[in-house]
Amino acid sequence: MRFPGYTAVEGIDLSVAPGTFLSVVGPSGCGKSTLLNMAAGLMSPSAGRIEIFGQPLEGVNRKAGYMFQQDALLPWKTVLGNILLGPVFAGVAGGKAEAEAREWIRRVGLERFSHHYPHQLSGGMRKRVAMAQTWINDPEIIFMDEPFGALDLHTRMRMEGEILKLWAETKKTVVFVTHDLEEAIALSDEVVVLTAGPASRICGRYPVNLKRPRNPMDIKTEPEFSAVYRSIWRDLRGEVLKSYERE
Amino acid sequence: MVVWQLLLGASLLAAWQAGASAGVLDKFFFSRPSDIALRVWQMCLTGAVWGHLGTTLLEAALSFAIGVALGVACGFALARNRFLAALFDPYLRVANSLPRVVLAPIFLLWFGLGIWSKVALGVTVVFFIVFFNTLQGVREVDPVVVHNARMLGASERQLIRHVLIPSALSWIFSSLHISIGFAIIAVVVGEYLGAAKGIGYMIAQAEGVFDTTGVFAGMAILAGVVLAVGAGVDRLERRLLRWKARDSQAGGESVS
Repeated sequence: MRFPGYTAVEGIDLSVAPGTFLSVVGPSGCGKSTLLNMAAGLMSPSAGRIEIFGQPLEGVNRKAGYMFQQDALLPWKTVLGNILLGPVFAGVAGGKAEAEAREWIRRVGLERFSHHYPHQLSGGMRKRVAMAQTWINDPEIIFMDEPFGALDLHTRMRMEGEILKLWAETKKTVVFVTHDLEEAIALSDEVVVLTAGPASRICGRYPVNLKRPRNPMDIKTEPEFSAVYRSIWRDLRGEVLKSYERE
Repeated sequence: MVVWQLLLGASLLAAWQAGASAGVLDKFFFSRPSDIALRVWQMCLTGAVWGHLGTTLLEAALSFAIGVALGVACGFALARNRFLAALFDPYLRVANSLPRVVLAPIFLLWFGLGIWSKVALGVTVVFFIVFFNTLQGVREVDPVVVHNARMLGASERQLIRHVLIPSALSWIFSSLHISIGFAIIAVVVGEYLGAAKGIGYMIAQAEGVFDTTGVFAGMAILAGVVLAVGAGVDRLERRLLRWKARDSQAGGESVS
């Protein structure tokens, strides 16, 4: 993917098996988000192609949901209104749509806040709304771009647990972008490491065979976790250092 | 705070009243608050003022409605079309930098002494405030919010309805105070320069016979109306923009 005067990612060939939780990690500025935006159809690649279930992607990826790093809720809609967006856009009838939205509000534990506006909620609650908003459309693929980057450590661990629970219940294909290797290992079946930008490539793919279900609160202290972490960090460390030198 | 604000106003009025009564201020030039209050009261009782006030408010309301409609439509068109925006940009800047008062005589010739020449003047003021705020509002929509709506399945029309219009509305509303205030000012100036009815006309008439009390009475009535309309807008704004955090109000672009 080339921007004027800058090549973000180049020569990347990455396929994701359906139902997998895959994380992409890499030093900052390596083009992780660019990769995700291309797969979501929000940007089109300057060369190469994107295929979704064997079909070339044109325009916005209708099979995918996307959880953004920044706050992406509509500030003028309540929690209920925001979660209703997907069904409303899809033309689902009012009563049925509302019942679905209420069910999702319950699943993310925000019953008492359904008529609050986003600015009245905490960062963690806003992420719960974003989760419900994405999942209510029942997309086959979910892209996440450091969705919990802005949260404090403890809220973040709780949210990771909830994402894993939702994923286990619905078995969607997830592509999760983060710069936090611990988070990537704790959540994923496979971790992909990108090289330092510009023109980053895939540095390596690492399967994570830790048993499921996992609890992100505890898993980080287990010896198997540390072994996986060390083997991936050896490679990632070099790329992080390179990205510092290029700054 | 309100108490202190009232106290300040009352003491200024008292000083004025005392000065005029004691002869420090010439009553011919400065009139007296008590006389002005009496005049306003008489005008209300005889009903002389209602016709003028009604005309002024009708003109202001019409210029506001037309100005908002045109401003929103043009703002949307130009915000969504880069070519049009670039094409019109220099002309809009020139038009907006023009002092509106110089247009008043031309509008008088075009639209006559009736209400429409004042409405036209008011529209030229309201239009630009609303236009620039709409343009800004549509352009400043957070791209992440737009991406999110697209990923959730919004079509182009749904994007406009659920994302772009609400975003622009918040900008338009934050400029409502300014645009309503300017609409009233513009029509009063128009009336002052040539009319057969209206508060501006009333003030011009009083001035013509050196009736300072009459001039001040007209100003007092105008001030009362502007305060009342302002309070109404405040309430409307609080209702419609209740989703906004109190400290993050978008600023309106001001023109004069």
